[in-house]
Amino acid sequence: MANYVGKNIPRNDGFDKATGLGVFTHDVTMPHMLFAKVLRSPHAHARVISIDTSAAEALPGVKAVCTYQNTTKKRFNASTAAMITIPCDEPVRDQLVFTDRPLYIGDEIAAVAAETGEIAAKAVKLIKVEYEILPAVYDPLEALKLDAPKVQPEFQSEMFGAPICMDDDPTQLIHPKYNNICGKVIEFGIGDIAQGFKEAEVIVEVDLQLPRVKQCQMETHAAIASYKANGILEVISTTQTPHPTKMILAYALDLPESKVRVSNPPYVGGGFGVRIGMSGKAEVIAAVLSMKALRPVKLVYTREEDFTASDTRHGGYLLCKLGAKYDGTFVAIDTTAWLNTGAYATFGVELPGVLGACGTAGAYRIPNLHYKGFPVYTNQQTAGAFRGFGTPQGTAIVEAAVDKMACALQMDPLELRKKNTSKPEDRGFFPFPIGSVGVNECIDKAAAAIGWNEKRGRNQSGHIRRGVGLAIATHVSNAAPFCVDYDSIVLWIEQDGSLHISSGIPEIGPGSTTGVIQVACDLVGVPFATTVMQFGDTASSPFDIGSHASRTIYTVSQVLAEVAPKLRQSIFEYAAAHLEVSAEQLDMVDGIISGGGKEITLKELAYQAHLNGKQFLVSGNKVPPNSLPWCAQAAEVEVDMELGLIKVLKIVAAHDVGKAVNPRLCEGQIEGAALMGVGYALKEEMVYEVGTGFYNNGLHRYMLATANDRPEIVPILVESNDPAGVFGMKGLGEVGLNAILPAIFSAVEDAVGVRFNVAPITPSRFLAGMKPFA
Amino acid sequence: MEKLNVTVNGQLMSVDVNPAIRLVDFLRGQLLLTGTKTGCGKGECGACTVIMNGKSVTSCLIPVMRAEGAVIETIEGLAKGETLHPLQEEFIDKGAIQCGFCTPGMIMSAKALLDKDDNPSSEAVREALSGNICRCTGYVKIEEAVMAAAAKMRKGG
Ligand code: FES
Ligand code: FES
Repeated sequence: MANYVGKNIPRNDGFDKATGLGVFTHDVTMPHMLFAKVLRSPHAHARVISIDTSAAEALPGVKAVCTYQNTTKKRFNASTAAMITIPCDEPVRDQLVFTDRPLYIGDEIAAVAAETGEIAAKAVKLIKVEYEILPAVYDPLEALKLDAPKVQPEFQSEMFGAPICMDDDPTQLIHPKYNNICGKVIEFGIGDIAQGFKEAEVIVEVDLQLPRVKQCQMETHAAIASYKANGILEVISTTQTPHPTKMILAYALDLPESKVRVSNPPYVGGGFGVRIGMSGKAEVIAAVLSMKALRPVKLVYTREEDFTASDTRHGGYLLCKLGAKYDGTFVAIDTTAWLNTGAYATFGVELPGVLGACGTAGAYRIPNLHYKGFPVYTNQQTAGAFRGFGTPQGTAIVEAAVDKMACALQMDPLELRKKNTSKPEDRGFFPFPIGSVGVNECIDKAAAAIGWNEKRGRNQSGHIRRGVGLAIATHVSNAAPFCVDYDSIVLWIEQDGSLHISSGIPEIGPGSTTGVIQVACDLVGVPFATTVMQFGDTASSPFDIGSHASRTIYTVSQVLAEVAPKLRQSIFEYAAAHLEVSAEQLDMVDGIISGGGKEITLKELAYQAHLNGKQFLVSGNKVPPNSLPWCAQAAEVEVDMELGLIKVLKIVAAHDVGKAVNPRLCEGQIEGAALMGVGYALKEEMVYEVGTGFYNNGLHRYMLATANDRPEIVPILVESNDPAGVFGMKGLGEVGLNAILPAIFSAVEDAVGVRFNVAPITPSRFLAGMKPFA
Repeated sequence: MEKLNVTVNGQLMSVDVNPAIRLVDFLRGQLLLTGTKTGCGKGECGACTVIMNGKSVTSCLIPVMRAEGAVIETIEGLAKGETLHPLQEEFIDKGAIQCGFCTPGMIMSAKALLDKDDNPSSEAVREALSGNICRCTGYVKIEEAVMAAAAKMRKGG
């Protein structure tokens, strides 16, 4: 019986966070602790000819100086790409702790640990480095050319084979062989793409250029590493994947995993994908310094380092061709993405796959599909995971194509969408049943709430114009079966009947631990108030892959659904003997066991059991099933034709969440993601300047929305009750960002008659884009 | 080292400080009041907001000696014993907290407003919070929480 699932239970960590008593990595100090500072490359591509650390070492208070010369040369991948690819693709392990061939402005050359942060900063400045500057390349289309500088000659693959199957490829990339491919070109399809386009009666093509954008989680990357001469390494950090980060550290530093502990302290100031794996490289840098100094070392990234030396979202270029019948039935879609992977792989190979799978092959039933994604090394900082993991990029181009098709067919864009959305029986590209599909209900609800019928197509003139747009998206509820995804948990009953849950998931903000406790209490039959969850620590829990892929509550609930009945069974068996009834007669709700006319509290029973040397304890692990979450997101914009200013007045985000475990937490995910999406469409952009690197080295140079300039945001929850999800739930954390950009682009098109194909639509881009139509 | 006389969360203290540090370093590093966060160190995010002489300030921009004689309130000083401040209660109740890293600064900015005006318009609330960045919530529930706390304070709660 559901007592807690579906209710707005306040977060279990609310007290800690509202009082300032909750501890984050930034807040941690340890006895005898040193402070670290990193020396970063000022060049986009160079070779270190000489490095002299003697002056730094001689500075009083300096306890360790590490460079590529005195640190392991074992290469690793700082993201969980190292762990998650199925079938067992080897991750691209192309990163070093410190390098003598920096590949981007910000690459790590050396680091110092000293008694104070000031001494460490001073010492870093005393390190003398002589560089030979090498030619660099910054744009993925340039980097693909055969005469481009090679960023990672040891790791790039050369793709031989057929040209891209675009008919009139405007970028002229039809080479049999490319340069700077990271890992491999991702290519897949279903049906027969050539045949599909032959059958098509209308064909449209669109292209799109998307920027790099930054996660901007409010707590910058940080780690405190403590290595002792007995061979034990303990790391407290901002990672959103404690267990995989433990594995990466053990691998990179040649330590047994049993001797490495990674934990959150326990709170993490956001993530949004940026620390799936290491937090930048904070953990491994602090660790090597600690191994040298044999003292705890704390490294906190400055906001500038966080901006310019940790993963961004992938920017790049996309092309999409969509074919349909005159009646609007989609028959073929072919998409190509050229992505700026940056200097190192991290998720460079996985992400183009998700872009294709969830971004281009997810939302619609299209029998003939082809996708090709190019991960391209460049001499810029690395791109990696960011909320949506490729799906926002894929959704942006596909939704642009769908709008163009609606225009070509003179159909209402919403009718065209509803006609073609996936149905529960469809598999499309996915190797699992896609689950319940509430997307058409989302479209109807979002359209009604934005006022689609009254507002779309107002054909205005004058200098202030308004428009509405809508787009749809999907994503996943976890990473299986594409990647390793499982969770292991241990449940036990304390001696007073309280439930204890031990799981390795972290709490990076969404309220995962609150939601998990709600589910556990209902499945076991115990009160929320006395249940506790241990999380975010590899020493106190068995394996979990971490907070990513919208998976935490979904996946942990799957394991709970397996082990909770076992826990109940063991309780009932014990209670049966105690109460002299049969175990089958018993039930337990909110900690009260009853049946056969008898009743006992779990509190009393657990204590009786304790006196007899018995504890109720179960464990289990499971690979979760998967299903697609859905949303329809609508935007209303107001455009100032003279100033080029686009103001979003309202966002309506209707989401099929399967079942809302905690509606208020669901709304929080949707609202936060929506505002991020607004920034992606109109404001946020990492701008590269050759010679100096990214302009955006601080928050004042990166336009995040404040409370003052947010639109009205209306979240709508649709519950389609997914057959595979526990209580019918699906994942939610990421999908809320996926359709905002195309919804806004469509709204701008509705207002001014022009579909922009470069994001973000800044005032200068808007005015330049409107010139030809003036 | 110099002598600093300052009142923090109601407690008058006279302490030796390094005059080169910022107020946030003094609070976090010396008094171990780590509820006040730093997200940028440059006055751009509001995570380090505290109330100084009744006004919200970004403590990462304030040289510690500027606090001489000042009355400082930090997030740790809000609860009265076991009773939370209405802002704290409403931030928890309305779902205004996600990762929680912006929360102390956000609550202090809101408190500075409500201390002066317990019946603010939503524009005034947005304005008061406009120096505090939150990347998680989209600000919707934060504004709701501040409005609800104001209503509670008007009722004397
Ligand atoms: S840390 Fe002071 S404003 Fe960001
Ligand atoms: S709750 Fe995470 S930044 Fe505001």
